[in-house]
This record gives sequence, C-alpha cells and structure tokens, in this order.
Amino acid sequence: MKIGLEVHVALPTKSKLFCGCSTASEEPNSSICPICLGVPGSKPMLNKAALEYSLDVANALGCVSKPRTSFVRKVYFYPDLPKSYQITQLQDAIGVEGYVALEKKKVRIRRIQLEEDPAKIIREDNYTLVDFNRSGLPLLEIVTEPDITSEDELREFLNELRSILYYLGVDIEKELKVDLNISVADARVEIKNVTGIRNLVDAARYEIKRQEELVSKKQKIVAETRSYNEKSLKTDASREKESDEEYGFIYEPDLTFYSIKEKKREEPIIASRIAGEISKKYGCSKKTLLELVQFDSKALELLEHAQGKWPIQSIINVIEVLKRYESIKISNEKFTELLEIAKGGHQITDQIIKNVTSGAHVKVTVSDVSAEEVDEEIKKMISANPKIMIEHEKNPKALNFIVGAVAKKLNASPRLVSERLGLVLKKGFKN
Amino acid sequence: MRSASEPKKQRKEKVVYPKLLRELTKLNEELHFFTVINDNISEGAPFSVKDNLCVKGFESRAGSKILKGYLPQFNATPVERMIAKGFGFLGKTTMDEFGFGSFGVNTDIVARNPFDEKCVAGGSSSGAAVATAVMKNHIAIAESTGGSISNPASFCGVVGFTPTYGLISRYGLIDYANSLDKIGIMARESNQIRETFDIIKGKDGYDSTCVDKKLTALKKKKIVVIDQLTNGVSEEIKSTFQVLLARLENQGYAIEHVSFDFIDKAIPAYYIISMAEASTNLAKYDGYKYGMQYGDFTKKYNEFFTNARENFGTEAKRRIVLGTFVRGASVKDKYYTKALKVRTALTNKLSSLMKDAFILSPTMPITAPKIEEARKLSPLQTYAMDSLTIPPNLSGFPHVSFPYAYIKGMPVGAQLITSHFNDYALLDFVSEWEKSFEYQFKHNL
Amino acid sequence: MQDSDFERLLSVCRLRLGDGEKAQIKKDIDSIISYFSTIESVDTSKLEPSYHPIEIEERLREDRVEPFENPDALLKGTKTYRFYVVGPEI
Repeated sequence: MKIGLEVHVALPTKSKLFCGCSTASEEPNSSICPICLGVPGSKPMLNKAALEYSLDVANALGCVSKPRTSFVRKVYFYPDLPKSYQITQLQDAIGVEGYVALEKKKVRIRRIQLEEDPAKIIREDNYTLVDFNRSGLPLLEIVTEPDITSEDELREFLNELRSILYYLGVDIEKELKVDLNISVADARVEIKNVTGIRNLVDAARYEIKRQEELVSKKQKIVAETRSYNEKSLKTDASREKESDEEYGFIYEPDLTFYSIKEKKREEPIIASRIAGEISKKYGCSKKTLLELVQFDSKALELLEHAQGKWPIQSIINVIEVLKRYESIKISNEKFTELLEIAKGGHQITDQIIKNVTSGAHVKVTVSDVSAEEVDEEIKKMISANPKIMIEHEKNPKALNFIVGAVAKKLNASPRLVSERLGLVLKKGFKN
Repeated sequence: MRSASEPKKQRKEKVVYPKLLRELTKLNEELHFFTVINDNISEGAPFSVKDNLCVKGFESRAGSKILKGYLPQFNATPVERMIAKGFGFLGKTTMDEFGFGSFGVNTDIVARNPFDEKCVAGGSSSGAAVATAVMKNHIAIAESTGGSISNPASFCGVVGFTPTYGLISRYGLIDYANSLDKIGIMARESNQIRETFDIIKGKDGYDSTCVDKKLTALKKKKIVVIDQLTNGVSEEIKSTFQVLLARLENQGYAIEHVSFDFIDKAIPAYYIISMAEASTNLAKYDGYKYGMQYGDFTKKYNEFFTNARENFGTEAKRRIVLGTFVRGASVKDKYYTKALKVRTALTNKLSSLMKDAFILSPTMPITAPKIEEARKLSPLQTYAMDSLTIPPNLSGFPHVSFPYAYIKGMPVGAQLITSHFNDYALLDFVSEWEKSFEYQFKHNL
Repeated sequence: MQDSDFERLLSVCRLRLGDGEKAQIKKDIDSIISYFSTIESVDTSKLEPSYHPIEIEERLREDRVEPFENPDALLKGTKTYRFYVVGPEI
C-alpha cells in the first residue's frame, strides 16, 4: 500500500505573491487589483518574503536546490483561473529530494514549489460565483513520495510536517489542504482538496477500505480522481475537470531567474528531534515531551532552558500546569521560581502562578527555620486543634491543615513540616 | 513640403487644438488611423498611443473584437509618464489584432497609407505611423514584437525607433509575446524621439523585466551589410539601397559585406517563440471578465469559453493553434526549446558582427503594397515580409528605421541596428541623417 | 497533421472554427509546421536557451500591502451577484 501527499500551504505573507493586495480580506472581491485579476496589460512582481519562507521550508525539509529558481505558465481553462494560466514551477522548483523523519522511517519529499492560488469558486446551479480575493495568494506545494503505508504513519507525518512549519512561522492557524494519492494495488487514485488532519485520516481510511474490498472481489481499481465528502465520510468519483489536460508549460517570460542565495539558513527547529534527544538523555517518555512542545515554541524554550538543572519530571509537570492555565508565556527566571516552589512540595496553583508572574511571591528560604522550631510549632498547633487529631484517625488528610498552618506561620517548606509532623506523631505526641 | 531653407521651428509652434481635432477627425474618416480621438484634449504637445497600450478610461482593444468595450482602470507606465510630463493624450491608433500582422489588415479598422490610400500603412503599428506621417508636431508611442515599428515607419516614411528590449516598462501593454514586445517611438525628428525616450524609459516597480541600464552613444565607423538579407528585396529597393551605401561611404563609413548563412532561420524561430507565448497570453480571453460579456450562460464552462473565443480573427486563431502546438509536451523540445537556442545562436553571431560596426539593411523588401494584394498573400508569404526586421527584434537589439528614398512617390526606409544598450548611437545617426535628407509628407496637420 | 490531432488541438485551446476557416487553417498549419522544422539545421549543441534576449537581473517586491485605489471599478461591466463575479457553470 502506498500513500503520497500533495500538501498546499498558504504562506503567511502580508501581501499576495505577485501584487500588493492584502492576503487578508473580508467582503468578496475587495482585495483585488489588475494583477491578481489577470487584467490585460498586468504583470507579476515576485514577493520577497514569499520566496524567503519557501527557502526556509526547503531548508527545514532537507531539500536540495539549484542555484536559481524560476517559474512557468501552466495553461488550462477554468473559471477560477483569471489568466487561464497559473504561474507555478517546474524544472527549477524551490527544492527537491528532501525528507521528513518519522519515528521509524523517513518520508521522502519529492519537490517543493511556489505558486499562486487560483480564485475561490462557489458552484451554483446555472453559474459559478467567483471571488478573486484568493487569486494570487502565495502557496507552497509540498509533494511527497508515496512512502506512507498506514493511517498511523499518515497522522504522524501530518503532525510532524505541521510542527516543522509551525516553527518556521508558517501556517499553523489555517488548515492544510491536501491531495491524497492512494494505491492499494497498482492503480493510483487521487483524492483532491481534503482539508484538515481529521478529514485526511478519515478519507484515507475510507479509500483504503474501498480499494481493499475491490481487490478482494478481484475487481479492478480505476485510476481516477475522486473527492472526499465530509458529510457522508466517503470518497466519490469526481465530476471535476477533464483528465489529460495539455498544460503546455512555458517559461514565465514576465519573470526572471531568482538566485537561491548562499546565505546560510538557520538550523531548522525539529521539535520531535529535540524531544527525542532529551527523552533519551533523561529517561522520560518522548511522546509526553512531544505533546508539550510539538506546537508550542514557548514550552520548548522552557524545556531546553531547564533540562539538566531540574528533574525532568518536575519540568514536565510545571509545563503541563502552565499550559493548563494558559500561562506558558513566562520568563525563564519565573519558570525557575516555579520549579523551586514545586521542589519544595508545593502544588502549583493558578494563584501561585499569578503571584510569581506579578512578582508578589516572596521567595522561600527554608534553611532559616530549624527542625526544632518546626517541631515546637507543630506541637502548639496540635494542642490548639484537638478535634483534628480525632478526625485524623478516620481521615489522614485532616493533618494537611496543620501542615499548611505551620508552614505559613514559619515560612517553611511544607515538605519539611510534613516530615517533622510525621516524626512528632511517631514519637507519640498526642496533646 | 518643407523647403530646405525653412528653419526647423515646427516644434515650437503651439498646437491649436480645436483646429487640429477638426482636421484630424476629417482625415481619420479617409485614412482610418485612430480608433478613438480624445476630444477633450486642450493642452500639451500631442502624443498618440498604439491601441495595445492601456489608457485609463479609453477603450483599449488591441485591434481585436474580443476586447470590445474594455476600459482599463490604469495607465500603461509609458503613458503615465508622458501625461505626468505635460504631454497631451490625443488618442488610440489602429493596429493588427494583438500585433499579429505586417500590413495592418488583420483587424476591423484598416489604416490607409497617406501616400496612396489604396495601399497598406504597414503593421502592426499602422495608425501610429500614419499619425506621424500626417501631423507636424506629433509623437507616437508604438510597440514592436517582430518589426511592428520599423515596418509601418518604412511604409509611411517616418522615423521608427525600437529600443533595446527591457528599457521601457511593458506594464499596461496588452501582451503579444512577453520576451519580444518592446515599446518604441515614432516621430519625424530624432530630438523628439530622444526627449520621449528619456521620459518613458527606466525602472518600473510593476515590470520585472524592465532594466535600468546606462546607455551609450558609441559611434561605429563601419557599416555591415548582411548579403542574405539584402538579396531578398525588390530590384528597385536594391538600387536605392546601393545609392544609400555610397552616400554613407562618402560620409566616412567603411562598408563591409558579410555572409550570415543561417540568418533566415530567425523567422521560424521568432514565430515559434512568439506564437507559443501569444497562445498563453490570449488564453485569458474567455468571455466573462474585464467587461467583455460574450458568454452564453446557458452553456457549461468549456462551451462557454469556446463560444466567446469565436470572436478572435482568423490570424489570431491560427497563431493560438500553432502556439499551442509548439509548446505541447511531446514536441516542445523540437520547436519551443530549440527556437530559444536558435535565438541564442543568432544573438551571439549578430553581437560579434556589431562589435565595431552597425548593421544596415532596407527595412522592408518592398514598398507598401495595395490592400487587396496584401490580403491575398498566404500566411507564410506574409511572415516572410518580416525577414529584415525580425533579426534585431528576436535578439532585442535596438534598431531604427529612417526614410531614405521614394520610389514612385512611396517611401522607402532603411534599418540601422546596434548592440544592446547602445541606443543613443542610433539617435545620433538619425540626427545626422536628417540634416541632409528631406523627408516628404503629403499632410501637415 | 491528422484530423483527429487537429481537432484535439482546437479543443485544448478552446477554439471553434467555421468550415471555411477550418479548411484554410488546417492547410496552412501543415506547411507552417514544416517551415518551423527547418530550425533543426542550426547547430545549437553547445547553447543554452535564451528565455529573454538580454540578461534580466532579478528584482523582488517588498512584502507590503498596497491596495489598489478602486477595486470596484475593475469589475464594472462584469456580471456580478452580491460582490461575486458571475462565471459559467461548472
């Protein structure tokens, strides 16, 4: 079984790929100009940031690039294509022969190319409605080899790719739009325009089953284009464009060659790789770490800063709590404070987080308090609260009150107090 | 006709617009060289614009029915720059549909030659040449892909200047072939051309292929004549051309005849590249955008498009079909890619010939033919008319056509070519030429 | 060129020809294509294709929003429905 993907990623530029129109727009046909409308006489001008983002992605996916990249015209007729050709790439694409590393294998990237988005269309009964706001948005198309062989690998790949893109500042909010190519036997079936990981996994699952059934009935699988129906959760034969379209590619003569500079690209951040390294070093679960940092750069920063200086489980716990209270954006110093508090046995609560971040928390210096002083105070507290001792026989947690009160009074670590209390009771102090 | 002793002060005369507009409109009814005249023009020296350059608010249909009613919402960069400098926009001039033609007959409004109204004005910048030939103080912004400035300039007896490819922004030019289209200028005098050139050239933030380059004015002492080119022209033109060469020799130029055996391959290479690019440029005309409502909404999209695209002329359809063919995946290497390499070969050889020489030839193999005769020619016969203008156009070399003789009252032009970016040298040459040669005109509006 | 190939070519470029036009163009096309084939004889073995006749330096546009002054005017004369452009049925 072979699954290959063509992933379309919208680049987070402010303006479109070939013109100054905003990439954000509300009302239909409000962010348009002669260029993205393809008006006679208009000409494209390549967006520098779009080129930079593409090169970052190619670098992060380990791709090889030629010294220069260039564009072509892909000609076909459809209401969503204003010039009746799309400016895209062919032989001089941004990058080729890269890979995404999964746990147990590498999924090879065949090519990455930069191209303009067609317009958005809404089909109606007797006509089509066209919104050119989308026309000209910068898209990166990432094509894989058919190296994925299961639903799990599909999910893992999608998350891994999204994580890499996230760390490049690319496309985390918008959904990935993907064309799936699935062959259970020989024929390759393409499922076009599936959006979002959930739908992708569902579509793949349905299509694999459909093909496997055909095989078991000794029926032929037709190589065709299908579409995924989100409501029925099935793939249907597509009533899309004719196959075998003659695109007649030519070099785009309104653009030129763009150098892929020798400038050293930064080492890409591959969260799964870092999680793997740390988990191996400190003997904890990679999966747990990855869950924390796969789409959270702040969490990764805290993890990398604190690893080795604090017990790994402590770090994991505090990060989990911070995420739960949506407070992950704190400085390394304040994170350290929280780790110290946790070390002292305190529960990190919402309030503690607030105190630490606002600076209201006073640092605990436990060494100032001697064991004798704690014992003294414990005995006083027990004498003052006879009922607690009775309750304690039924409910051990009743003593937490004593621990809390003593710790507060003396500014002592609750762990120390709890220890001393245990010893005091053992020695037979009752009242 | 102007006598030799009259000082050249025409440009300083202030244009009286109501009179000019009246006379122009009347003459236009005979010679059909403007598609639309700007009646609101009231000041500034007048300039006309070939109909494939967008002028905001004026119909720009590049000689085609399929763009009828198209009103651009922006000015082409050269137009914008002229207006900003205070020149007055006079109107749009007629042309072959999208530039597809050598005579001006491939369109609904066919311009007439001012020297003989039964004859063609040339193409594809037909109207621009006529306008320049009939008005005293006029600058025509025109465009050349394979010779569309030189050709009509020669047939109508005016100066036609085509700069190095990429010097003038193509933003707002309704494309024929993007790696070949060049905007240029027609006028009666070289100083008009020079002034206009300096205004409209230069870097533009909207055209990626517009280059900013320091230009030179290197006068070459030698003139190269390529025998294969001149051998194909009519006997009459050949003899007038000999006279021209003798004259230039007297002025101090060394004349050298060279053989360039594969220069005739410039024509097929040019047509392959230009048709391939044109077929993609014309794909956008499908009947429901840009204010062109040709579509029949009862039909589904493919039939809808096909119906709308019936509004192309025959030559346009021919070129779309051929252009689509030569870039088809199975034959692309044989035609499109090979033609691009032939372009390299031609450019290299021409460059080496022009290291210390200009290249000179007659501009056209004949004087302007009768309109009916032009219509009878087959496509290949028509394409062959471009044999002299295609080589510099294919390679993007700057070239200028200037009148040098009259045969039975019909103008004959010669074309001077130089290396990339040596554009000013051509204008210097014409400037010298016009000091001692009288251009003749039938009208002087 | 075979008739079927010619028909396919016409449909690829979404063109329809009248009978007279079709006969004419089909005849021309064959001779023009053989004419095109004569470029074969030029020795280009050591040459790269010239996509442009001169070297064009690359120029990039800064990623800045510069809205067109009058987007509505671009759609004047086009059939629209509630801000959408109306196109043919798919």
